[in-house]
Amino acid sequence: MKYIATIGDKEFTVDVLDKRHVSIGDQIMDVDFENISGQPVYSLVIDGKSYEAYVYEGENELQVLLQGQQYPVKVEDEREKRLRAAAGGTVSETAEFHLRAPMPGLVVAVTVEADQQVAKGQVLIILESMKMQNELKSPRAGKVTRIRVKPGETVEQRQTLLTVT
Amino acid sequence: MFKKVLVANRGEIAVRILRACRELGMESVAVYSEADRNALHVRYADEAYLLGPAPSRESYLRADKIIDIARKCHADAIHPGYGFLAERESFAAACADAGIMFIGPKPSAIAAMGDKMVARETVLAAGVPVVPGTEGTGSMSDDELLAVAPKIGFPLLIKASAGGGGKGMREANSIEDMPSLLTSARREAEASFGDGNVYLEKLLEGARHIEIQILADQHGNVIHLGERDCSLQRRHQKLIEEAPSPFMDEALREKMGTVAVKAARAVEYLSAGTIEFLVDKDKNFYFLEMNTRLQVEHPVTEVATGIDIVAEQMRIARGRQLSYKQEDIRFRGHALECRINAEDPYNGFLPSTGRITHSLLPTGPGVRVDTGVYPGFEITPYYDPMIAKLIVWGETRGQAILRMRRALEEYRIVGVRTNIPFHQMMMDSHRFMGGQYDTRFVEERFALPLSQGERETYHPEIAAVFATLVAHDANQRSAEFVMPNERDTSNWKWMGRWERMHR
Repeated sequence: MKYIATIGDKEFTVDVLDKRHVSIGDQIMDVDFENISGQPVYSLVIDGKSYEAYVYEGENELQVLLQGQQYPVKVEDEREKRLRAAAGGTVSETAEFHLRAPMPGLVVAVTVEADQQVAKGQVLIILESMKMQNELKSPRAGKVTRIRVKPGETVEQRQTLLTVT
Repeated sequence: MFKKVLVANRGEIAVRILRACRELGMESVAVYSEADRNALHVRYADEAYLLGPAPSRESYLRADKIIDIARKCHADAIHPGYGFLAERESFAAACADAGIMFIGPKPSAIAAMGDKMVARETVLAAGVPVVPGTEGTGSMSDDELLAVAPKIGFPLLIKASAGGGGKGMREANSIEDMPSLLTSARREAEASFGDGNVYLEKLLEGARHIEIQILADQHGNVIHLGERDCSLQRRHQKLIEEAPSPFMDEALREKMGTVAVKAARAVEYLSAGTIEFLVDKDKNFYFLEMNTRLQVEHPVTEVATGIDIVAEQMRIARGRQLSYKQEDIRFRGHALECRINAEDPYNGFLPSTGRITHSLLPTGPGVRVDTGVYPGFEITPYYDPMIAKLIVWGETRGQAILRMRRALEEYRIVGVRTNIPFHQMMMDSHRFMGGQYDTRFVEERFALPLSQGERETYHPEIAAVFATLVAHDANQRSAEFVMPNERDTSNWKWMGRWERMHR
C-alpha cells in the first residue's frame, strides 16, 4: 500500500510492501516495527539501525517526536492526496475556527467582544492553569462570532471557548 | 531536639525532604490535598493526613490546619519546602507559638526579606549594591510610578512587591506602554499573592542571574556555598541552572560571597537561604532579592559541593553548629540541572495536563532525578507544572553537557507533553556550550524547532516511516472492524452529525 507522507514542504513516498519491508522513493528497506507495551511509543529497526519515537495525533496530522525533534507528518494514500489537490488549497482560512481550551483552567479575561474583527495573533482569552496565565491567540484574522465563556468560569480541556469566522 | 518532621508541601520537594528525614532516622509526616491522595510524598511518608480540596488555598496554604495536624500527630518540627507557606512570616510565627520548630529562618528575617522594598533598604544599609529602582517603602500609585519611571530610564521592569517566579512582572520599553502594563502586572500580582503592590526596577541588558547559597547556624556562623548560574530563563522562569557559573572567576566569587554573607548577617539569617544577584557584562553585581527558603535548584549546589543542604537545615534547626567552615567549601567538577515541566515547547509552552501513562527515568553515572510523579499519576491544573528535576555531574562543564544530553535522551514520559525537547536543543546549542548566554537568551535568540541542518539529528525520512506505519496499522485495524454502510444510517449523515457535535 502506497502512502505519501508530507513534512513541511517535503514529500516522501512510502510504500508498505509487507510486514517486513517498506520502500522510500525507490529504496527498499528491511523494517521491524513494534509498539512498546500498548503505549504510543514505537520502536523501529530499519536496515539494522534502531530508532524509538513517540507518535501521537495532532489536529489533522501525526506528530512524531524522534530524538528530541518533533515532526508533524501528514500521511495520505494516493487517492486522498488527489482529492485534496482537486479541492485546492487549504481550507483553514475560510472554515470557522473554534478556539478550544488546550487545558483545563480558569478564564481570567476575555479580551475581545462578539462581532469584533481580530488580527492574526491577537489575544482572545487569558486562561489560568497551573498558576500561570496563558494567552490564547487567534491563528488567523477574522470576526469573533460566538463567545461561550465568561471571566471567572472554569473550563474543561477541549471545551469550545469562542468562534472566529 | 525534634524527632518527627511534618513536611508542609507536595511534589518533588516533599519527597526530597522526606528522603532527608529517612536518612537522618526521623519520623516523617506528609499532608495532602484531595487531588494528591495517590502522590508519591503520601506513599513515602510514615504518616499522612488529608488537608482539604485540591485548590492550594483550601489545602497547602491552610496554615491553621497544618499546625493542627502537627499538634495532633505530635510532630515537633515543620519543614515548609519552597512556595506555599515557605515565605510567610505569619506561618513561621504560628509554628513558634504552637511550640513547633519551623525549619527555616526566624519570622523577622522572612519579613525583612519578604517585602522586596524593605529588603532593598536593608541591604543598601549594609553596603550591598542594588539595581536602580523605586526605593522607599510603601505602595506607590500608578501616577507616582509614571512620574518616577523616566528618572530610572527605559527599559525597566515592573515587579510585584510580594512577588517571585516572574508572576506580576512586566517589561516596559517606553512611558506609553506603562499604564496598560501596570494594570496587567497588578492584576496578576493580586491573583497570585493577594497583593497588587508593584515597584519599578531598571532592566540591565546582557545581564546574568547569579545567586549565592547561604547557610547560617544559631551560633553566628554564616558561610556561602558558592554560586549557581540561573540565567537560562523563559519569561523569568528558570529553566536550566548550573554551578559553577562559566562566567565567574575566583576573585568575583570571593567578592560576591562576602557580600552575600553580609546581607544574610544584616537580617540575622538562620538556616538555608539564597541571595540573588544580577551581574552585568562588566562583572558589576547588584542585589536582586533574598529567598528565605530552600530553592528549587538547590541540588545543583549539592552535587557540585557534595553538601546535603536539607540535612544541614535539620542540623541547624536542632541547634548544632554547621558541619563545614568556609574554607572547607570547594566546587568539585560541574553540575547542571534541567527543570522538566509539563509544558508543550512546540505550542507556546502551554501547560499540559493528563495522566502519565509511561515513564522511564534516566539513571547511570552522575545522574540524579528529583521527582514526585510516576506512571499512573495524574497531572492536574491546580499546581505548578514542574514534574521533575534532572541533575547531572561531570568532571568538567563539557562532560556535564554530554551527560545531560545522554540523560535527556533516556528520559521517557508519555501521557503529558514535556519541555524535554527544549532542553535537548539547548544542550545542542553552540552558544550554550560556549557559556555565552544571558537572561534574554531563550526569548531573543532561541526558536523551536531549530532549522534543519543546525542539528545533526534531523531525520525526516525516518519520521515519515514511523508516521506511515502508525497510520497503516490504524487503517488495517479499522478496516477489520467497520464494514462500509454497516451503521444504521448513511455514513454521510453520520459524519455530518459527528461534525456538528464536535463544534
